[in-house]
Amino acid sequence: MSTLRKKARITSVVAGIGIVAVLAAGCARGTAGDDTGDATEGPAEASPGITDTSITLGITSPLTGPTAGPGNCTVDGALAYFGVKNAEGGIEFGDGKTRTVEIKAYDDTYDPQKALANFQQMVSDGVFAAGIGLGTPTNRAWREAAIDEEVPQVLVMTGDPIFSDREESPWQLGLVPIYQQEGGAFGEMLASSTEDHKVAILSQNDDYGDGYVEGFKEAIAGADNIEVVKELTYEATDTSVDAQLTELAASGADVFFNAMSITPLVISSLKKTEELGWTPNWFLPSNTSSPGGILQQPDVHADVFPGIYTVAFSQSAASPTFAESEEGAAFLEAIAEYTNQEGVPAFPHCVWSWIAGATLEQAFAEMTEPTRENFMEALLSIQDYSAPFMLEGSVIDTTADGKPAVSDVLVQKYNGKGYAPAEQFG
Amino acid sequence: MAAAAGFLAKPWVRWVAVLLVVVLLVVAPLIFPIFLNQTLARIGVFAVAVLGLNVVMGYTGQVSLGQIFFVGVGAYVTAYGVNADWNIALVFILAALIPGVIGLLISLAAARLGGLAIAMVTIALPIIGVPLAKRLSEFTGGSQGSSARFSSAPDWTGLADDQWQLYIVIAITAVVFLLTRNLVRGKYGRAFAIVKGNEAVASSMGISPYRYKVLAFTIASLIGGISGFLYMVVVQYTSPETMSFGHSITLLASMVIGGAGSILGSLLGGAYYVLAPQLTNAIDSSLTAVLQGIILLAILFVLPGGLVSLPRLWRRRRKSDGHGGAPAGGAGSRSAAAATVAPDVSPSAASVTAAPVAATPTPPEPNPPTQSEEKRQDT
Repeated sequence: MSTLRKKARITSVVAGIGIVAVLAAGCARGTAGDDTGDATEGPAEASPGITDTSITLGITSPLTGPTAGPGNCTVDGALAYFGVKNAEGGIEFGDGKTRTVEIKAYDDTYDPQKALANFQQMVSDGVFAAGIGLGTPTNRAWREAAIDEEVPQVLVMTGDPIFSDREESPWQLGLVPIYQQEGGAFGEMLASSTEDHKVAILSQNDDYGDGYVEGFKEAIAGADNIEVVKELTYEATDTSVDAQLTELAASGADVFFNAMSITPLVISSLKKTEELGWTPNWFLPSNTSSPGGILQQPDVHADVFPGIYTVAFSQSAASPTFAESEEGAAFLEAIAEYTNQEGVPAFPHCVWSWIAGATLEQAFAEMTEPTRENFMEALLSIQDYSAPFMLEGSVIDTTADGKPAVSDVLVQKYNGKGYAPAEQFG
Repeated sequence: MAAAAGFLAKPWVRWVAVLLVVVLLVVAPLIFPIFLNQTLARIGVFAVAVLGLNVVMGYTGQVSLGQIFFVGVGAYVTAYGVNADWNIALVFILAALIPGVIGLLISLAAARLGGLAIAMVTIALPIIGVPLAKRLSEFTGGSQGSSARFSSAPDWTGLADDQWQLYIVIAITAVVFLLTRNLVRGKYGRAFAIVKGNEAVASSMGISPYRYKVLAFTIASLIGGISGFLYMVVVQYTSPETMSFGHSITLLASMVIGGAGSILGSLLGGAYYVLAPQLTNAIDSSLTAVLQGIILLAILFVLPGGLVSLPRLWRRRRKSDGHGGAPAGGAGSRSAAAATVAPDVSPSAASVTAAPVAATPTPPEPNPPTQSEEKRQDT
């Protein structure tokens, strides 16, 4: 009987403490929320992550695991760029204050769940803006959270068009060209050719391949001289496309549009078409057209084909002329000083990340208030900016809805050693 | 120490402890900072996934390398159902049932195979799952994934999103843990343990190893599906990367680190799954893989039984020092600790289970003899 009563008493005490705690806690978090509510009313109230002397940016990217190579580059380019700027004293903002830029890097191992966790960590760490990171699923995982929190997610490196759709992604902006742009650039050049062409299309059966084909078809829509004679797909998991190539070869096409993202498959396709005696002009996506990695591999004879085309918007750090230029030498020196990269970076993402850094500096220069809203306004108003290492004819333009910061890509033709800009087809 | 143990063994003390935990779980989300709430919610998600893995591996001794596949299926079912505007209760039931049925069908075939063959079958699941999710783009959104935002806090609650999500996770996780605890401590748990220990003995006792393997595998898949639902509550986005094979291995490592065959260990495993990357990220974001490897090795060298064996190790130390505490008391306090993790509703159940645990360690406990026996049998 007494133990029962004791139990009841203790229960009520615990419950009482609980209720008081709930009330107290509710008030505590509630007032905190009100504070932030007030903050947004004052127009010049600074957003988190920015002071009079510094600004903090966060990058979540795969820094370990299979995509660590390009992932580390997405951090290192910006790290080197702002390392140099910080050593010079900082960057002058539009409000007249000079701030240093601090980069916080987070590893997401290409796992969407970790990317979201990293974003939440960034918010907790007080990051002003986030972005530059690599990967479609990883960036998508926190896209909506970034919109909810009104944190900029900018200059992300994915060809997914959603990040450059102003309506769907008001706090986002992509950096690299979307798949449609790449396919479209080649389609336009082909359409302007004076001769008739028959095109065979092989594409990866996912949003990657579909994007290239969509862009290409849109560009050739009105052209009478272009005929798509055969269109086949393959799965990203396939280990051979020999059957498709045999079928395409029989179509008699003189142009082969190959939207393929898998390096070994591209190499085997080049070998197989040669074996079949089919020698069309090739189009290859920017990420599977590397001279060293693909076209100069053993048993690949790129010279039997009349032309191999790809698209690009930036110089390659691996090309011999790069290190000789003043800009290029400064880039390599900064990479060596501020990052753990050994030698010349093997992935173009280092250069792209540097371009992202330069683009951010342009936005900072236009920022008149230390707020995220003002930053987005400034970032989305950059026009005709020739960022470092961008090819002539390709510029940063952030004002067009539906397009990432790099709005134009240039068609390039393989010349036996590397790529050179191609003015016209043939 | 005996006095302390006796104090802890009193039913009302245990009740107060349970109540305290419940109150803490109710109050904590309201006071904690946002990021802590978000982290705790993620821990809940993966604790449930590890718990499912524990049912089939820790308790029944069948190697499963495909748990993340069921988490992924649960997440995709949730995303599809939410985007098709189905009732959320129906979505939850389907998110648990569909992976459960898939698990049942697979295990009907796989459980006929012994030892490593079943592991090979389960390896295939995430390996097939990723390309399958990419191909079935009508249902899955292809390689761009699919997002479903249904777990924003309703206005009437006055809660922030992180608080609301954490409450959902706590509620579902608590129920799943409680049900699983009752399962593995009852008739089925004993059967699982015998199947794990020696299948021939199980058969001779009238326990069909095949049927119990299928049962354990199905329950694990079901729990995996629930974890997938929680994944969508917390992450609100899924893509083929969600069920990448590497995550299955990390889940397995988390289970071993938390403590195989332990309810509390599953919770610790979930915490490891979430906190290890976060911790290593804070130290050096480009060395996370190496640092996590070091943590894994360090824990397994010091605590082969997982984090859950930490108190037992400490007790053994004290005993060998010559203090000689009563073994019954020690085990009693351990079961009390377990009870606080999975708050029990009936006091009788708690005291009933406490008694045999106190007398001798029951088979579900990870004790070295059972493991070596099993190894001998496999070879």
